[in-house]
Amino acid sequence: MRLWKRIAIFLSIMGPGIITANIDNDASGITTYSVAGARFGYSLLWTLIPTTVALVVIQEMVARMGAVTGKGLSDLIRENYGVKATFYMMTVLFIANFGTTVANFAGWAASMEILGLSKYLMVPVGALFIWILVVKGSYRFVERILLFACLLYFGYVLSGFMAKPDWSKVIYSTFVPQMKWEPEFFMLSMAIIGTTITPWMQFYLQSSIAEKGIKKEEYKASRLDVLIGCSITDIISFFIIVTCATTLFAQGIRINEASEAALALRPLAGNYAFLIFAVSLANAALLGAIIVPLATSYYICEAMGWERGVNKSFKEAPQFMGIYTFMIVIASLVIMIPEAPLVFLMVLSSVLNGLLLPFVLVYAISLVNNKSLMGDYVNPKIYNIISWGTVGVVLMLTIFFLMTVFIPLSAKYG
Amino acid sequence: MPFFGELFVSEILKKPVLDPKGEELGRVRDIVLVKGELFPKVSALIIEKKKRHFSLLWSDLNIFNKRIISSKTYGDNLHTYEFSEKDLLIARDIFDKQIVDANGVKVVRVNDVKLEGYNSEAILVAVDVGMRGIMRRLGFERSGEDMMKIFKRRLPYNLISWNYIQPLEPKLTKISLTVPRQMVSELHPADIAEIISQVSRKEGASFFKGLDVETAAEALSELQPDVQAAIITGMDTDKAADIIEEMPPDEAADVLSDLPVDKAKEILEHIEKEEAEDIQELLSHEEDTAGGLMTNDFISYHPDISVREAIEKFRKYAEDVETVYYIYLIDAEEKLLGVVSLRELLLAPLDATLSDIMETKLKTVTPDADEVEVAEIISKYNLVAIPVIDAEGFILGIVTIDDVIDRILPPAAKRKRRKV
Repeated sequence: MRLWKRIAIFLSIMGPGIITANIDNDASGITTYSVAGARFGYSLLWTLIPTTVALVVIQEMVARMGAVTGKGLSDLIRENYGVKATFYMMTVLFIANFGTTVANFAGWAASMEILGLSKYLMVPVGALFIWILVVKGSYRFVERILLFACLLYFGYVLSGFMAKPDWSKVIYSTFVPQMKWEPEFFMLSMAIIGTTITPWMQFYLQSSIAEKGIKKEEYKASRLDVLIGCSITDIISFFIIVTCATTLFAQGIRINEASEAALALRPLAGNYAFLIFAVSLANAALLGAIIVPLATSYYICEAMGWERGVNKSFKEAPQFMGIYTFMIVIASLVIMIPEAPLVFLMVLSSVLNGLLLPFVLVYAISLVNNKSLMGDYVNPKIYNIISWGTVGVVLMLTIFFLMTVFIPLSAKYG
Repeated sequence: MPFFGELFVSEILKKPVLDPKGEELGRVRDIVLVKGELFPKVSALIIEKKKRHFSLLWSDLNIFNKRIISSKTYGDNLHTYEFSEKDLLIARDIFDKQIVDANGVKVVRVNDVKLEGYNSEAILVAVDVGMRGIMRRLGFERSGEDMMKIFKRRLPYNLISWNYIQPLEPKLTKISLTVPRQMVSELHPADIAEIISQVSRKEGASFFKGLDVETAAEALSELQPDVQAAIITGMDTDKAADIIEEMPPDEAADVLSDLPVDKAKEILEHIEKEEAEDIQELLSHEEDTAGGLMTNDFISYHPDISVREAIEKFRKYAEDVETVYYIYLIDAEEKLLGVVSLRELLLAPLDATLSDIMETKLKTVTPDADEVEVAEIISKYNLVAIPVIDAEGFILGIVTIDDVIDRILPPAAKRKRRKV
């Protein structure tokens, strides 16, 4: 009886953690995992375990803040650190998320192209669809679509099994760390962490927890939600790497994009594996293209105190609607310009995300340790050790990452 | 009289404070407010020097404007200041916080605070919630203004007078006036509900506690069920019972059904017996059926009375009844015999009996009818309300059109707060 009660409580609380973690595997995430699998086979699999631990610790912290304070992260940063910090953070977040939106539209365009549909038709259609969905649709409808779309991610698990990997090797590589002293190996391991732990997710998760009105007493169920969500997202990453490692790496095929992975899969793993991979990519890209612009406009308006809400008209909430529409329209236009500097935009976006992440994490950790906000729910010591450790690692990787971006650039132009 | 004119607080933060010899005492860190006659007034400046904090009383100031702040006393006479939760500080407690603009009926964020000189005091007259305030805090109000000039526009001031502010945090509430309280009670309950649904649960609850019982009852029924439950659970039972009692029985039952069983029982025990019985009866039905939607607050007369008597009765007792457009005619055992609409009643000759003018071919529903079915019947026959009867023809209650519409098209505050 008590067990049933607990399960019922969990079911009513779950959602935010799982949805957030799943949307995390957007087009750029899938690209990273596909490239990693094709380039280094199973040997990067072990990085998923420390990444998952860091992801769980950070998401748990942010979720706890949402439940205890009932406020979003951008609310708390604005109220505790003032306009300046908030404004600059939001500006960077806006540019970085614009890049992420472009990446998602690119993923959508590419997956449509390999399915035989012209991007000049499908990008405007996709953009119009998500714009109308949010502006004219009701929230319940959007949420249902999101939960259903999360299920589609399991397509990757299927394609992983279809590739028929050598499971003993897979398990060995997952639990035994291996290093290859090549710059590309480090680049890709950084990219895996960077694409898994993103700044906007922290804002998104905390708001949706606060939104759902989860109380601190119910918080234990929320922790489970976060734990399950983070595990699912990394299990999916795991299967993407396994699929590409088993098929492409074994054949020595190198790729730069997720859509190339799907194409290369066709002769190796069959038509169904190709189809599942391509449709899942389209799904992930579209989902990212809905949530990232929407989330961005919410956090900016929330922090700045502007009117917001999907129910509001352009006249009532000009900034909110303006930011949302701008991101979708400009991102889809950029995709349709032939020879647009897509790679540059995506690199810029990941650089900005990388720069922003340590700041967001430092703010989050100092807020979660603020006794007047969190009361008895401040971080336990062990959490602080792990989370500062994560910040340290992320900071180091960011510096490494910036070096890998700027050193070749300066070598080229300097 | 150290202060004339007006200034924005962000303009003086971090400005140096000078002693009579022109030496720097420290820099302005924050400003302490106390309750004034009409508006809050400044009681002291908190200044920071080498990480230490001192308080400089308002009476010790010599010059206070946006360019020069100087004191009458020297550094040795300053008292060290310990930050305390009891004091109300402008930068710490008002800047960047959400407040309710009772005039525009919305939740806004404070970007800056405007002080004005009045009777040799500095009083807080307004808060800045506009773009201009943000620009000023960021330090580019000027360039923002210049940029707008290019487009032949002006950067608008967006100030809300302190009169129209309803603070959300209890700390601010202590210092605010009684005036805004009344203003908030004059707002439409649906607007109040929307405000509550836009802020965090804690702030919403403290805002709600300030409402009078009648407004609170109306606002509560406009809220989303889980918000209702959170607010009522957080209140003491007596106050909660007062509010629940004020609500129509069907809405009271809706609220109670979302509470933990113990809390609901406790509240019911504090409610007048008759009212509590009505509510309990409604609680026994499923929420999405006619029984769950209905109210047992309706008008019913015996069919033998005359139209004159009926109108007199109506004038006497109908004031507290929620839906008055139909008069249901029942026999001594509460069996439903017919209905007279208010219009028919008023147009009928005064000497006729109700049974002469009543309509006996009634549209009714059973308590277990689905809400959609109820909505369809109400819509098809253009009704304002429909009676709910059991198998033997006894009237249990009525479902009114507003309750049905609420189920089909929930009001804004009942929908999810945010759409991400």
